[in-house]
Amino acid sequence: MGRYVIRRLLQALLTLGIVLFLLHYLMALSVQIRGNPAMLFFGGDRAPDPAMLAQVERLYGLDNKCYERVGDPCLLPFVDRLQAFVQGDLGTTLNGNRDVAQLLAIYIPNTLRLFIFATITLVVVSMVLGTWAARHRGKLIDHTVRGTTILADSVPVFLILLTYVYIVAVPLTRWARGIWGTESFMGQVFRPNYNPDYPWTTIIIPGIIVGTVGLATMTRLIRASQLENIGSDFVRTAKAKGLKPLRITIVHVIRNSMIPIITGVGFLFAFMLSGAVLTEGVMGIPGMGRMIFQAVQRQEGNLVIVGLSVSAMVVVFVSLVVDLLYAALDPRIRYE
Amino acid sequence: MSELTAPVAPAERQASLWSDAFRTMRRRPDVIIATVVLLLVFAMAAFPGLFTDKDPTKCLGREAKLRPDTWFTGNHPLGTDAFGCDFAATLVHGTRPTITLALSVIVVSVLFGLILGIYAGYYGGWVDSLISRALDVFIVIPMLMGAILILSLFRGRVSADSLVETIAAPAIALSLFGWMEFCRYTRAATLETKNLDYVVAAKCLGANDRRIMFKHILPNAIVPVTAVVPTTIGGIIVTEAALAVLGIGVQPPATSWGVLLSKGTEWAGGGYVYLFAWPLGLLVLTVFAFATFGDALRDALDPKLR
Repeated sequence: MGRYVIRRLLQALLTLGIVLFLLHYLMALSVQIRGNPAMLFFGGDRAPDPAMLAQVERLYGLDNKCYERVGDPCLLPFVDRLQAFVQGDLGTTLNGNRDVAQLLAIYIPNTLRLFIFATITLVVVSMVLGTWAARHRGKLIDHTVRGTTILADSVPVFLILLTYVYIVAVPLTRWARGIWGTESFMGQVFRPNYNPDYPWTTIIIPGIIVGTVGLATMTRLIRASQLENIGSDFVRTAKAKGLKPLRITIVHVIRNSMIPIITGVGFLFAFMLSGAVLTEGVMGIPGMGRMIFQAVQRQEGNLVIVGLSVSAMVVVFVSLVVDLLYAALDPRIRYE
Repeated sequence: MSELTAPVAPAERQASLWSDAFRTMRRRPDVIIATVVLLLVFAMAAFPGLFTDKDPTKCLGREAKLRPDTWFTGNHPLGTDAFGCDFAATLVHGTRPTITLALSVIVVSVLFGLILGIYAGYYGGWVDSLISRALDVFIVIPMLMGAILILSLFRGRVSADSLVETIAAPAIALSLFGWMEFCRYTRAATLETKNLDYVVAAKCLGANDRRIMFKHILPNAIVPVTAVVPTTIGGIIVTEAALAVLGIGVQPPATSWGVLLSKGTEWAGGGYVYLFAWPLGLLVLTVFAFATFGDALRDALDPKLR
């Protein structure tokens, strides 16, 4: 087990290193092809003093000659960047000269909150629907559940969001405020945009919307694994002992169906990240997804590299945890 | 001269996985409906002239924003958009870029994934570790995120007249981040198959590696891949729309469903809901049809779930 964990950690480090290098290379290529982002510092098209431009370039590590040769991987700046990262210096943004580490401290908690609500929604809804469908296998309920979840998956997240923000949110908020008042929980929860004064309440609805990503996949996984367990010997034994159906479902069927659920959550995590980009953009949540999108648009190389590396780290970490949970949940699985 | 003929065995239909799957699928009403929808969409992409006789680029300013009050009859069956172009024609002609993009991305991703997956699974060793590391690297960056990165960093002007130029950039970006799933499935299936008796037998008979890989292993490896293809096509259509709404996918004045949707959102709030609702309906219907078809295909190809 210990050796397995060490091997996986080393692999993860290698993966992250390659990701970092590829991102660095992409940004360098972009600078070489599209032109110097240090001009951003001076606000667009104005022609700055060459000495000042050179100073800004030096400040952000863009003064290396390799940024003028197309296709040069810029190894020296890459090593510098890695050294800075190891020392805990994540650099500053071109636009506004803010500290990237401070920005992350604001953005990461927001995205985490979004993911908490999204994961809860995904797991709870798909558990209920999947269990329900499995118990009524082949009947109308089974087909309805399957059709509904596929339909929910077919409607793109950003369309659900746009529909909610532009059509549903405002009347719903007005109605709720009329009954419970503006400052109450109900008065805030349906807001069409994020409000930093209510960091938990106003993130519930976007979280639920992100949670609908992959609902069909998850429900199908749960249904299939429960069908396998329902037909198993230990469930027949439990029935023969005269246990109540609810107890059989919870203790014997659901508990043994946890493995595919964990696989599914680990697998869907990356997809939720994509959902977060759109959700945070539309609802105005200052989170990682919105930060990465804006950074890419503004050619903020450093911010893009840091943001995507953080998300890559999280994905690698989640998949490691998933693999270790397998062994914890099912004693038949062993890692050598 | 007596004729000697070997006794011909009664023509017994050999039950293969594919024909079984086809027979199961044929009996399900949802599959039939999904197939009809998909055929209709493909026909729209291939022969737009069948559905509309208008030219989507011929627009009259004084006919702008006519609501479709006449319901499928009259000069503009679905009304006109903000610039006076016939909306039905725009919608029908926007189908071709969308479908071509989705199909080209899926073909490239599947081919890429299959070949890499088979090589990784069959040879093992350093080939496998190289391909597996590449897989790890690409898998930690989600498809939409990667596409945003590539498309924003290397944005350039393209002409709207040629279909290839219109879809090339998003197609390349999406293919680059779309092959991993197929590669993983193929690799797993190859690892499973390569030690089976018939493959070992083929090796003993002196078949070369390429023959074993593509003649004996591929037919097995392709089953799990096929089962996810329709659902993935639906996913690509959705991602294209998301990219267009973000403003970095297919670029206007070229049209695709995504471009129509992103334009439609601007007008939907102002009372011209049909400009948003029609592309939305068409997109959801198509993706739903792909997903239903894929769901049924997966069930039909996986005997354990029956």
